Amino acid sequence: MSGSIDMRVNLAGLELRNPVTVASGTFASGREFADFVDLSRLGAIVTKGVSLGPWAGNASPRIAETASGMLNSIGLQNPGVEAFVVKDLAWLAENAATTPVIVNVSGHSVEEYAAVIERLEDESGVAGYEVNISCPNVDAGGMAFGSECAPAAAVTRACRAVTKRPMLVKLSPNVTDIVSIAQSVEAEGADGLSLVNTLLGMAIDAETRKPLLARVVGGLSGPAIKPVALRMVWQVSNAVAIPIIGMGGVMNATDAVEFMLAGATAVAVGTANFVDPTVTMRVVDGLVEYCHRHGVTDVRDLIGGLEA
Amino acid sequence: MTLHAPECAASVQPGQFVHLRVATGSDIILRRPFSIHRAYGERVEILYQILGTGTLLMAEKPVGDESMDLVGPLGHGWRAPEGIAHALFVTGGLGAAPLGMLAEQLAAHGVAVSVAMGAPTKERLVARELFENVARQVLVATDDGSDGEHGFVTVPAARLLAEERFDVVYTCGPEPMQRAIAALAADAGVPCQISLERLMACGIGACLSCVVLTVDGLKRACVDGPVFDAAEVTWKS
Repeated sequence: MSGSIDMRVNLAGLELRNPVTVASGTFASGREFADFVDLSRLGAIVTKGVSLGPWAGNASPRIAETASGMLNSIGLQNPGVEAFVVKDLAWLAENAATTPVIVNVSGHSVEEYAAVIERLEDESGVAGYEVNISCPNVDAGGMAFGSECAPAAAVTRACRAVTKRPMLVKLSPNVTDIVSIAQSVEAEGADGLSLVNTLLGMAIDAETRKPLLARVVGGLSGPAIKPVALRMVWQVSNAVAIPIIGMGGVMNATDAVEFMLAGATAVAVGTANFVDPTVTMRVVDGLVEYCHRHGVTDVRDLIGGLEA
Repeated sequence: MTLHAPECAASVQPGQFVHLRVATGSDIILRRPFSIHRAYGERVEILYQILGTGTLLMAEKPVGDESMDLVGPLGHGWRAPEGIAHALFVTGGLGAAPLGMLAEQLAAHGVAVSVAMGAPTKERLVARELFENVARQVLVATDDGSDGEHGFVTVPAARLLAEERFDVVYTCGPEPMQRAIAALAADAGVPCQISLERLMACGIGACLSCVVLTVDGLKRACVDGPVFDAAEVTWKS
């Protein structure tokens, strides 16, 4: 269907067959979606967050629906890097070998982030990393590292020291100045950025006077956050030289185009995977259709193409 | 509500669920899980109660409406061990929903089915006719005494467990009720299966929103359940 349109993009040294990928935590490691999605048609697969040891995650309820969005406080539940290698990486190598796998990395400490990457360095099925310094749902680690320049830079530096593979850093929108944090991780050797993680929010049941999430606060995602995410992608893309995966409320190809026009090289589909497990395929097809309709022969021409 | 879903109807197992997208806009975005009550021909039937905006939208849909999108059948349903002769069903309110198809299938295979069904009021006893058509006996309890015995369904359920011999107990309803039934079944030495309700985002095992604490750690209600062996579940204290 792509015909004469070149849909390939280069993301931080990774050759993607198209700019469409998935947001960490919304796609597990692909297996759950294999009945719905041809994984070989995705630009890349970004895995759920992986930490050194198992993390239990937060108490339930962990999700709440809000206007045009959802709150989650899953809390990075995962079985740890060893189980990830045995179960998920092995499965991906067998079932999605032609699609680059970007492993999302989490940690309680700077050392733990680096240790996860070190453990994965000898594994052949890993194309690159996405260092998550932006999860709002954990007490130690996560957003705490991404809220200020110095700790963001420290995590980036420690991870950079242990890998030459492409390394993206995923930033939080819950900051005063995302541009300065983006610049600080760029200066420490990040090859790319993922923008943005969820916005800190909460929801209350007026009848019971109780919070809807066990943890009270959680991360807001979905269409509700798209304007904020677009603004941040646009601001950061004008201030750094490294590529960006744009995300935040991408529900369809039009949303994807908007993120690319704002400066994103690739686009991640997140919450929409829950709404429609086949949505990524529709975004890929819709992006091709948009290019046809607009006479775009190279999808890269959309990147930063905002006419302001 | 009856849904035209040929592929789902053809492959559904008792206890599985469908994930419905009730609105196509982006205001109400998450799907809603509903257990499948019955399946026949090209149709599946769900039972629901208007609790919020999503179910209100469903209730307002006219017959023949094609705006709802269905994913399913999903999940792990009831297990019917070989050689069972007598099964006890204990339901609370809408908890009767995921048990309809199982009751029909077991009865069709010659298994004797006894039912204890409870609800807050007579009006909220659902699927009574279906159970009365297939079961050897149906005992009713309502919290307000408007039908059957006055009180919780645990009372007739306990009596049945004491008086008769069952090979398996199937239960679905409010979690405190399921917990009480699981304890009664354990005391009687009868295996018990429960169907747990959880908030779900994806319904296919990816989002980890619907986790259930078990003796083997956290499991996902959507793919590891919604039906679990009661002995496997670690109840919140």
